[in-house]
Amino acid sequence: MSYADSSAVDGPFEIEAVALAQIMDELDYFQILKLAPVATPAEIKLAYYRESRIYHPDRFYRLADGELRDSISRIYKRINEAYVCLRDDIRRTKYLADIGGPMRQSKLRFVEASEQEMKKEKELEVGVTPQGRKFYLAGLQDFAGQRFAAAERNFKMALTYEPGNANYKTKRDEATKLIK
Amino acid sequence: MDEIAIGIDLGTSYSCVSIIENGAPLVIPNALGERTHASVVSFLEDGKVLVGNGAKRNIITNAESTVYSAKRLIGRYYFSDEVRKAQAVMPYKIVEGENNSVRIQIRESLYSLPEISALVLKEMKAIVEKHVGHSVSKAVVTVPAYFNDNQRQATKDAGRIAGLEVLRILNEPTAAALSYGFGKDLSQRIAVYDLGGGTFDMSILEIGNDVFEVLSTAGDTYLGGDDFDDRIMTWLGDRFLSETGIDLRLNKYCLQMLKEAAEKAKIDVGRDGVANIHVEAICQDPSGNRLDLIATLQESEFNRMMMDLVQRTFKVCDEALQSARMAASDLDAVILVGGPTRLPIVRTSVKHYFQKDPMTGIDPDEVVAMGAALQARSLLESKGEHFLLDVTPLTLRVGTVGGYTDSMIEKNTPIPIERSKTYTTNRDAQEKVKIQVYQGESNKSAECELLGEFEFSGFRVAERGDVRIEVTFEIDPNGIVNVTAADLETGQQTTCAIRLNSGLSEKMIQAAQAKNAATVLSDGAAA
Repeated sequence: MSYADSSAVDGPFEIEAVALAQIMDELDYFQILKLAPVATPAEIKLAYYRESRIYHPDRFYRLADGELRDSISRIYKRINEAYVCLRDDIRRTKYLADIGGPMRQSKLRFVEASEQEMKKEKELEVGVTPQGRKFYLAGLQDFAGQRFAAAERNFKMALTYEPGNANYKTKRDEATKLIK
Repeated sequence: MDEIAIGIDLGTSYSCVSIIENGAPLVIPNALGERTHASVVSFLEDGKVLVGNGAKRNIITNAESTVYSAKRLIGRYYFSDEVRKAQAVMPYKIVEGENNSVRIQIRESLYSLPEISALVLKEMKAIVEKHVGHSVSKAVVTVPAYFNDNQRQATKDAGRIAGLEVLRILNEPTAAALSYGFGKDLSQRIAVYDLGGGTFDMSILEIGNDVFEVLSTAGDTYLGGDDFDDRIMTWLGDRFLSETGIDLRLNKYCLQMLKEAAEKAKIDVGRDGVANIHVEAICQDPSGNRLDLIATLQESEFNRMMMDLVQRTFKVCDEALQSARMAASDLDAVILVGGPTRLPIVRTSVKHYFQKDPMTGIDPDEVVAMGAALQARSLLESKGEHFLLDVTPLTLRVGTVGGYTDSMIEKNTPIPIERSKTYTTNRDAQEKVKIQVYQGESNKSAECELLGEFEFSGFRVAERGDVRIEVTFEIDPNGIVNVTAADLETGQQTTCAIRLNSGLSEKMIQAAQAKNAATVLSDGAAA
């Protein structure tokens, strides 16, 4: 069978692919994978397989139209990018917050900035000073061991090093409440 | 005549070639009926080149002109540990080429590693051409999943030098999985345990009918059957030294005899549970008496020697399972690939680790070539019979200040994929931006493999001190890295596929193609 008989590319498909490549930068990852934001991990995988069957570059390996092949390649790279983000719970949560916020337009692609923010947030949570981190982590251990008074003391000590740390405050208040 | 595409498993020790006939992959034997061929290239006195099992016999008699294990060196820098190690044990001459590259010196001629591998590929191509009766020019060539960009690019160059259009550089475990699951409508999660002559790969895949999704891959490019041989060589060498006072390893000729004996002993122990080693006249003592090497290797002794090597593979398995967020018990099947997986110690240990009998009925020496043939046909016909969703094995990084790197694309990310980073020329009148690209899992650049260095210049001289350059890193379906850069304000775009310094230029490839085409393969009769 020669390539011309193949059903990989017909008129409607070509129109759809070209249009998708053009508006791709306006779409979020859920739209790329044709998914609802509440999709389960199984649904995400299913959608990834479904879109792979449509846009996998191997199907268009012999396509003479270079421009169309480039469009399809760009689409498929975006499908992979979407899948990498959405299959990971932590990234997905961050991404949902990103695209639900006022900066949606600049956050459609989960990139560098988002990852650096994640790293920063994580740091903020645990602390930015060595002593603050040390007392905070000791506090967490006490908390887990239900030694709430000791936990409260450690969180308070942590706060003397980082008075502005919101997470420390929350934890201290939780510990205070639980002291009998 | 039908256009066909071939699948080639270009191995460290052995290679194998396959095509699709009547809808199924078929391994093509050579004229002697051999189905796998030693990846050995012997340059004969008459100018012809002998490749395969015949050439392997020349390692001892024509040692300086016979190249083996070239795959261990392909895509490596001259200063790398692997090259140092090879120089100590290989009987052929390994010299430095321009820009830290490696060259093999055969008499007065210098060969790059892709040129050596291209001769193996030429033989594989010739085997198929003899079988089908016409010339073939398209191929899928497999590489270890854990190969980096330099090694993949060099393998692709080898294909081009051999006059092949390389449709795809395909990962060996993925090829094996395709061969296993093709046309079976499986819904399974599988592990491919691929222990070859020089490398170990482990890939975990999810198969959903026609979709083969690689969930993770991990590997060790310094671990393979050769290391098993090394252990036996050490054992034999030490025994001989204590019995006779002569160290066989100090003479490259004796060393080759020792290596051959070790490889044979490994195979014998695996098959019969014991190896009776007897090499006549392996060397002479100071008074001119010929000494034989005689030893008996029991399986228990052999297993003791190999246990830590086998355990090392399971560290890699742990890593792959962890990346896939799975436990060994989640797997439906385990597939063994590579000659050393025939050893009982490997099979038993694998069974113990996975708590599951590995699949039988799959030929560990042929399954990769068969998968490559299936993928070659699929690309040729583009009918979408199956879809391989593969990943990049190593984290792609860019250099930052002070010898550190930033991650750009994490390992186990599906490919093809791209990611952009914006660079700013923040000093006044800065004309150039230098970008170093690495692969590896350390944030220190010294512990990663350098893929290439670029200086983007020719952009506007920034009078206001603020030119923004967007650099896009792409990993294509071959796992090969391409880099493009664009000036965000003018839209000026320069494209350059990463060509590492020691890689071959277009001109060198063309010269090598002519040389390869003019080379006559020996049929072994003259050897």
